[in-house]
Amino acid sequence: MIVMNPMEKFKAKITLFHCINAFTEHVSLSTDDREVKIVKMPCSGMTTEVFMLKAFEAGADAVAILVCPEGACRYMEGNMRARKRVEKTSNVLDKIGVGGKRLSIHNLAAKNSDSVPGLLDEIMSTIKELGKNPAAAA
Amino acid sequence: MTTQAISNLHSVLSSGTFAVTGECGPPRGADMNVLNKKGELLRGWVDAVNVTDNQTAIVRMSSIAASKHLLDMGLEPVMQMVCRDRNRIAIQSDILGAYSLGIRNILCLSGDHQSFGSQPDAMNVFDIDSMNLIRTVKDMRDEGKDMSGFDLKEAPKMFIGAAANPFADPFEYRVLRLAKKIDAGVDFIQTQCIYNMERFREWIRLAREEGLTEKAYIMGGVTPIKTVGMAKYMKNKVAGMDIPDEIINRVAGVPKEKQTEEGLKICQETIEELKEMDGVHGVHVMAIEWEEKVADIVKGAGLRK
Amino acid sequence: MIVGEQKPIEEIKKMVAPYKKLLILGCGTCVKTCFAGGEDETAALASALRMAFRTEGVSIEIDEQTVERQCENEFIQEAAKKIGENDAVLSLACGAGVQAMARRFPKEPVYPGLNTTFIGVQESHGVFTEECSGCGNCELGNFGGICPVTRCSKKLLNGPCGGSQKGICEVDANTECAWQLIIDRLKTLGQLNNLRTYIPPKNWKTSNSGGPRKLVREDHII
Ligand code: SF4
Ligand code: SF4
Repeated sequence: MIVMNPMEKFKAKITLFHCINAFTEHVSLSTDDREVKIVKMPCSGMTTEVFMLKAFEAGADAVAILVCPEGACRYMEGNMRARKRVEKTSNVLDKIGVGGKRLSIHNLAAKNSDSVPGLLDEIMSTIKELGKNPAAAA
Repeated sequence: MTTQAISNLHSVLSSGTFAVTGECGPPRGADMNVLNKKGELLRGWVDAVNVTDNQTAIVRMSSIAASKHLLDMGLEPVMQMVCRDRNRIAIQSDILGAYSLGIRNILCLSGDHQSFGSQPDAMNVFDIDSMNLIRTVKDMRDEGKDMSGFDLKEAPKMFIGAAANPFADPFEYRVLRLAKKIDAGVDFIQTQCIYNMERFREWIRLAREEGLTEKAYIMGGVTPIKTVGMAKYMKNKVAGMDIPDEIINRVAGVPKEKQTEEGLKICQETIEELKEMDGVHGVHVMAIEWEEKVADIVKGAGLRK
Repeated sequence: MIVGEQKPIEEIKKMVAPYKKLLILGCGTCVKTCFAGGEDETAALASALRMAFRTEGVSIEIDEQTVERQCENEFIQEAAKKIGENDAVLSLACGAGVQAMARRFPKEPVYPGLNTTFIGVQESHGVFTEECSGCGNCELGNFGGICPVTRCSKKLLNGPCGGSQKGICEVDANTECAWQLIIDRLKTLGQLNNLRTYIPPKNWKTSNSGGPRKLVREDHII
C-alpha cells in the first residue's frame, strides 16, 4: 500500500467532461495549483464508465462531469444516464481504493459557465482532503 | 371415489357425517413427546389429523415418522406430502413405506417454496407437480402399478386428498383446477382457511354446478384468529390468504383481552355455516400451535360432544 | 441471449493476483448486449483492475481484446496472439465461452470474469428476465408461449398453485406468476381449453438431469 501524505504539496489534476450543450469555456480554468483538462462530449450521456476510469488511470486526482439541468437534455435523458453511471463508477472507485468522492457530477444552469470556477474550488478541497490519486501512474 | 372404506376418515365422510380434521406440525427436533401432547389435545375431537411435511420449508421431523407416532397413539393421520423435497423415485418409495406403516390418508401438495423457510439456499425438486402426485398415488392404488408401469407386490391403498385455494387468483380458474384434481384421482379436498365467506360460497356454488361436490368430499378450512396482529400478518404475509377487512375490523373492534374470544366466535360461526352448506362435507381445523383450542371450537360449533 | 453479470472486482482481483501479465478477453455477442462483457465493459474492467493493483503497489500488465464470439473457435483464434503473450486470461464470456477458451488453449489458465445467470431477454432497458431453461423438450405450445418450467417458481405444469395473487408469484413480490400470464394469454388466443388438458410428468431425460448433453448433427459431419 502506498501511503499518501495528504499534506504533501502537488499540482492537482482535474478532468472536466462536459456536454457541448452545457457550457462554453471562455476563461482558462487552470491555475498555479491545478491543471484542468477539458474533454468535450457531444452529450453527457456519452460519458461512459470507461472514459471516467481512464481519466483516473491517466492520473486525474478528480473528475467532474458537467451536464445540462435535469429535463433540459437535448437527447432526452442523457444527463440522467450520466448520473446513474457516475454512481456506479464512483462505487467502483471506492472498491479499488481510489475513492469515489473524486468523481462528481454537476448540473449547470443554462450555460452558466460563471459557476464553474466555484465548482472547481469545491473539487480542490475534496482533493486536498483525499490527497493525490493513489492509482496515478508513477 | 372408491367404495370400500380405506380409512376412518373415508368411512366418516362416506357415511354422510360432517367430518372434522385437525392439524399437527411435527417438532423441530427428534422429541416425540411434543407429538404426544398435541395428539392428546386432539384425541376424540377430530376424525383424523393432518401431519405437515416440512411446512413453510422449515426442517421438522418427517411427516411419515410423525404420522406413525400418531398412529401408535391410536389417532388417524393424514400424511401430507410435498413435491418440493422429493423426486418421483423418493415419492413412490415413501408412499410404499408409509402404507406399510399403516398410514392410509395422504394429502398431495406442491409445497411452499423453500425461499420462505429457514434454508433458502436449498435446491428444490418439483420433479412432478401436485396434479401428477395425485395421479401417481391413484395409479398405485387402483392399477397396482408404479410410475414405470411395474406391478407392485401389494398396492398401497391410500385415501387421496389435495388442497384447494378458492381465494387465490385467477378466480375463474380455481374451479377448473378443482375439476382437474378430481379427474386426477382426488377423493377429498381441504381448502385454504375461509375468512371470505362470500367468495367461498361462490366457489362452492360453481363446484356444485359442475357436479364436483358429488365426485369428491370437500372440507372447508378454518383457522381461529388469536389477535388482530396475527390476522394482519396472515393477510399480508401468508401466500394465498384472503382476510376481508370486515373480519379484521370485527376483531379490532373489541377490547384487546376479548379479541381471542371474538376470533373463536368467528371460527365457530364459519363452521356452523359450512355445516349447512350444500356440497361441504366437513371442516378442517388448522389451529397451528394452538391445539388446545380445537376441543372448544368443535364443541362450540356443536360438531362433537 | 445468455445473460451474465460481472463478478465483484474483489473476487476477480483474487483470481488473477498470481499473474504478472493478464489478458482480459471480452465477447461481443450475448454478454455485450447485457452490458457485462463487451468492448466497453472489458476496457472499464481493465482500467479499474490496473488501478486497483496500482493503489496497492502491485505491478501487473493488463491487456485487453474483445472477439465477436468466444464460444466459436473461429473467433477465439483471433485472440491467439495476445493469449500467447500473456500468463493468463480473464474471460468476460458466458460459461460456455470460458470453457471454449479452455478447450482451445489447454495450457493457458482461464478464469471467469462473469457469473452466467440465465437464458433470457431484455424486458426493458436494463431489466433482464429468465425465459428458458433449455429443458431439451420444448412444450411452449401447450402454454401459450410462456414457459412454466422456467417461469413458475415450482415448475407446475397443470395450473397455478394456491399462492398466485393478483398476478404475482407467492415467492417474490417482483415476480409475475407465470400461470397468470399463461391464462391471460390463452384467453387472448381463445385457447382456454388447454387448461383442462392434463399434462403428464415431464420427461427430464432431455434436460440437464439426464447428464451432460450432446447434440450430433450427422448432416454436418464429414
Ligand atoms: S419448455 Fe423447455 S425448451 Fe421450452 S422454453 Fe421451457 S425450458 Fe425452454
Ligand atoms: S404463484 Fe404462480 S409462478 Fe409462483 S409458484 Fe405459484 S403458480 Fe408458480
